[in-house]
Amino acid sequence: MSSAGASLYLDPQIRDWVLFPITLVMILVGILRHYVTILLNSTPKKATRAAIREQRALLRAQILRASAAKSPLPPSYYKAISSSLWNAFTNGTYLKDGPPKEGAEPVSTPANPFSNPDQMDGMMDGMKKQMVMMVPQMVIMGWINFFFQGFVAIKLPFPLTLGFKSMLQRGVETQDMDVRWVSSLSWYFLNFFGLNGVYRLILGNDNAADSSKDVANSSPFAATGQQGAMQAQDYNKLYKAEKDNLELSEGLYTWAAQDVELRVLRRYGKIPAEAANKR
Amino acid sequence: MVATALERLATWRSRGTRASEQTVKHGLTVLEDGGLKKLGDEAWNFLEQLTLASLDIGRLDIADECLEQLTEGFPGSPRVECLKGLRIEADNKPIEAIRFYEAALQEDDTNAALWKRKIAVLRSLGSQNVSQAVEELTIYLDTFYTDVEAWIELADVYAELNLYSLSLQALSHVLILASQNPFYVLRFAETAYTAGDIPLAHKMFLRVIDMDEPEGSKSNATKRAWWGVKLTAGRLLSSPNTPSESKTQPPSSDHLRLLDELATERLAESYRSTSVTPQGQGRDVILAWLGGRKR
Repeated sequence: MSSAGASLYLDPQIRDWVLFPITLVMILVGILRHYVTILLNSTPKKATRAAIREQRALLRAQILRASAAKSPLPPSYYKAISSSLWNAFTNGTYLKDGPPKEGAEPVSTPANPFSNPDQMDGMMDGMKKQMVMMVPQMVIMGWINFFFQGFVAIKLPFPLTLGFKSMLQRGVETQDMDVRWVSSLSWYFLNFFGLNGVYRLILGNDNAADSSKDVANSSPFAATGQQGAMQAQDYNKLYKAEKDNLELSEGLYTWAAQDVELRVLRRYGKIPAEAANKR
Repeated sequence: MVATALERLATWRSRGTRASEQTVKHGLTVLEDGGLKKLGDEAWNFLEQLTLASLDIGRLDIADECLEQLTEGFPGSPRVECLKGLRIEADNKPIEAIRFYEAALQEDDTNAALWKRKIAVLRSLGSQNVSQAVEELTIYLDTFYTDVEAWIELADVYAELNLYSLSLQALSHVLILASQNPFYVLRFAETAYTAGDIPLAHKMFLRVIDMDEPEGSKSNATKRAWWGVKLTAGRLLSSPNTPSESKTQPPSSDHLRLLDELATERLAESYRSTSVTPQGQGRDVILAWLGGRKR
């Protein structure tokens, strides 16, 4: 084993013309795509007043419900707010496009995301970003495969078990070579996953240069699909569900000031404290 | 020198302290020493703070200078637009300011800061514009429900117009949104008292006391609440069938008597100790009144 290792001699030229260029090109491409992504970032579309109102109407009911068990509100005030919200949800007052028309067919399926220009924009944006991620990686890999196929680029300074062979010697199909030798293609993959720390050092924490992220969501539709679903929420349905919750909370409602006089009197010892335990 | 000034300004900025004169004083030392460059990105926040403070104390020259830099740095930013509107307001041209805000809101009708400024100017214009201010404010709150300050403002406007039940409704939203703040509860109680809903006011005053620390009620809200309890208990005892718009059940008369006694006790104690109030005639009057009312 040791004799085989000694017999293999790595030309320093390989270090200068293969190892360093691959690393350098990958770093530079990472930095480049960070800035291209920033350029491609379109300003987020502003929601209209009606859309904000639609989203936040649910929040109103949730806030009210959260306080129901020990509500700071006197009963009549609680009921007033609760029932006004209930009515608003029934009539669809808060819906972005106004209350649904009488007898109109309720839309059961969410609309096709491609038909809505707002969402189309979002999809295009995501695709553009994905392109910036994918294209350089494909180009670099092609470049390495074309020029440096089968190159052994570096020898690791520590021994490794045979299991690492497929990881470190991609593109060099030899049975007997020591696992410590790393092929050029494997060096590319190591950089691909390992350069994130370097990018963070150069570009700061919140950078778009890391390429291993887009392995996770490699499909351009994966990210935008979720977003589209979020946008296409059927608020009318959510309101209907919230109505039930409101009714439920009305049953739970107690006023925090229900027995407040007893609590205060007890605290200052005006009436015996035992009564508190009995209750 | 600059370092301490900057540090102080930063804490005021994060806490929203309105120490305008001090802010301008410190801000000027920073500007003179050329500390703006050292600040980096913080410089913009600093400039915004200084603009607001100098507008507050009427140093329009400083405000103009800051605004110029901010406009250069962020042309068309809504935050700078808001400052520009304030600058117009500082010139005492409310109509123009409203027009400015309306134009800015046309561009982006979801900008809460600009919208609130417009409402504030409308309100300040006087009684003939109050209805418009109320209308705008209700639309605003319908969109941005969680804005406690705006709800308080609405309650305030209604109270000014003697529409106390509407004011109470606005305050009820404040109570859900910020249920831990005893001052809001106190305000609710006082508004209920003014509206004539004595049982409700009584309950709410008690709630303020209930919210305070068990021992050593030092908060001013609590003292005011004891006064409220004393007044309402007296009213409820003398006329037990006081109508209540909210149909609140007052405590039983036994308990009311005890509460009245307790309130008198607490108040007398808090005024008797000289550390709370300085020596004065007012104190004697209060103690005499409390003593006279004692049954």
